[in-house]
Amino acid sequence: MVRWVAALRLIGLGFFIGGSILLGVFAGLWLDSRLNTSPVLAIVGLVLGIVVAFYGVYRMLLPLIGKKQDKENS
Amino acid sequence: MPKRGGLGFSIPVLAGVLFVFLLLLVVGFVIGPLGRSMFGDLGLPSWLSVPRPSPELPAKEVFHFFGFPITNSIIGAWLTMIVLVGFSYAVTRRMKMVPGRLQSAFEFLLGWLYNLCQRVAGEENGRRFFPVVATIFLFVAFNAWLSLIPGFGSITVINAEGHQVHLLRGANTDINMPLALALVSFIFVEYFGLKSLGIRYLGKFLNMGQFLRSIGQIVRGRIRAGLNGLFTGVIHVFVGFLEALSELVRIISFTFRLFGNMTAGEILLLIAAFLIPWVFAIPFYGLELLVGFVQALIFSGLTLVFLTLAVAHHREEAT
Repeated sequence: MVRWVAALRLIGLGFFIGGSILLGVFAGLWLDSRLNTSPVLAIVGLVLGIVVAFYGVYRMLLPLIGKKQDKENS
Repeated sequence: MPKRGGLGFSIPVLAGVLFVFLLLLVVGFVIGPLGRSMFGDLGLPSWLSVPRPSPELPAKEVFHFFGFPITNSIIGAWLTMIVLVGFSYAVTRRMKMVPGRLQSAFEFLLGWLYNLCQRVAGEENGRRFFPVVATIFLFVAFNAWLSLIPGFGSITVINAEGHQVHLLRGANTDINMPLALALVSFIFVEYFGLKSLGIRYLGKFLNMGQFLRSIGQIVRGRIRAGLNGLFTGVIHVFVGFLEALSELVRIISFTFRLFGNMTAGEILLLIAAFLIPWVFAIPFYGLELLVGFVQALIFSGLTLVFLTLAVAHHREEAT
């Protein structure tokens, strides 16, 4: 069981990182073009996307790092 | 009975097949665009070479149904459904205790998927998730494999505007289908989460408890304890926000993974067949068979993992 879940989680990571950053940047660019605030919101979106990417990676890897750490953090 | 060499063929037959294969490969290389740029035009007839492919991302409309455009990718999806339903009917019409070949193949596939569900999600949840996961797996895999059948992309029709369009196209090479599948997966994750955890499921996204408690403490005059708690509370709210965002990002990453892999596969086959015509594309067909299976496994497996996470009793502290 654990091996399957681990493999699937790792496979999901790459596109998750790309997706979160792209979503942030494009949402920022879109809002910029709406509100004429270029490039502030695009940068905010980029930063937010990176934060979400790191947070998601952290959450998805948490159970893989080790049972002990998982319990400490939970 | 001739002596068996390999793959069930005798050695002379095997050598002959290999020779023909290599010959076709060399001839294909010479007459293809690669060879032409190296050796110049040898004056070979034009029907030998493959026309330059022009892949287009948007699916083409084949006809309109009450003003609703029907694209070739939709027809591809319908074909997949028909094949799946027909297959299931053919397999289950006369079930035997001692299964035939087709029945045992299907039983093996479904049994394997069922086992996977139960091992990942547990006995009871595995049974609940199995229909969703298996449907996604079968659809994605069969859709990918069907579009690999030679001739699938060769049927062309004239549409209403008078253009020549392909009648069939792998449904997942049109971004709408992966998006729809990702939304289905997303909705099922939220549905099962809400169903099994109730309103507490939303607490993952709106983790305001600590924040509101601290505000209350500050209002009641306990400034110091309140401010301490306020910081943790803000982090909780922010983490809930991140959690909700990552839920949305999941849709995007599901969509683009499937769409990208399927489309890249189609284009790879086209380019391989164009650069070196005839047999050069065969190894890539094998690769695409594997990619179709792996993508189906990834899509359904990740759905399964997220379903399992959604119904798991959420830990109070998210950080």
